[in-house]
Amino acid sequence: MTSAGNDIVCLNATDITRTKQYRFYSKILSNTEKELYKENAFAAIPFENFVWLLWSVKESAFKYLQRNNPGLVFIPVKFIVQQLRVPGGFALTKYETTKTEGTGFDDNQVIQSIVTFGDATLYSMSLMHNDFIHSVVNNNEDFKNTCWGIKTIERNDPYYQSTAVRSFLLNRLNLHFRMDDLAIGKNLQGVPIVLKENEVLPIPVSLSHHGCFVAYSFISRF
Amino acid sequence: MTRIEILDELKKVFAPYTTNKEMLNSINDDTDLIRDLKINSANLVDIIIDAEAKYNIEIDYDSADKIINVGTCIDVIMEKLNQNK
Repeated sequence: MTSAGNDIVCLNATDITRTKQYRFYSKILSNTEKELYKENAFAAIPFENFVWLLWSVKESAFKYLQRNNPGLVFIPVKFIVQQLRVPGGFALTKYETTKTEGTGFDDNQVIQSIVTFGDATLYSMSLMHNDFIHSVVNNNEDFKNTCWGIKTIERNDPYYQSTAVRSFLLNRLNLHFRMDDLAIGKNLQGVPIVLKENEVLPIPVSLSHHGCFVAYSFISRF
Repeated sequence: MTRIEILDELKKVFAPYTTNKEMLNSINDDTDLIRDLKINSANLVDIIIDAEAKYNIEIDYDSADKIINVGTCIDVIMEKLNQNK
């Protein structure tokens, strides 16, 4: 099953006070995940960032599975983060640029996790700054064929976000596949698809936007 | 409390999380929270918590599973209100 899933959380668009309320985070974190935060490895991560980190991992996993299971509904506590590995010496920093794109990840920079939903096991890579959290999932630990990108945008209205993220992804797809006539659409279930002259190409893509950030991921070989 | 009364109140619950005010004023049972109202998924938990506070109910995971559009949202609220009687 080849698919793609990513999610971006703009931390400035979240409500820190509400995130720290038990009533709120209990709808996102399972009991085992609440215990996970007590481990020393997370000392450099504020609790509200931890909550949104797990949210982004879970939402990415949901998007990954939804492509082949259109009836799936996102209930965060049903996606369980089993392991979370924070790089040694991890410190939160400000995002100093406006765009980052890559293929695969530098293990020393990313927070890695394993997330399960029922019988499905997925792997995630997450980048966290003071400004945002971006997660990408895959069905194995090898991300070398996973292309991803993050970009800041000037406005946060839904139409602008939607247009900006499609344009951002299309530029990368056209470069990567050496084409200039690709288009992004959605299938009947609302899952993003890549089109060439109205024909659906078998390239799994995932789009996300929140606040003044947009992001994508796709599989370059499958 | 009728479905129409809850629907009217839900417009106030959704209002902080959507910029699509035109669509908000004309919501019906089939209105999808994410696709039609353009509510970011990160705000769905806010909506559930706001609805819980407004109606003094608890929306558990299995009930939250059913909330896809305005109609199912009203169904869940009515079900929980009836359980509180």
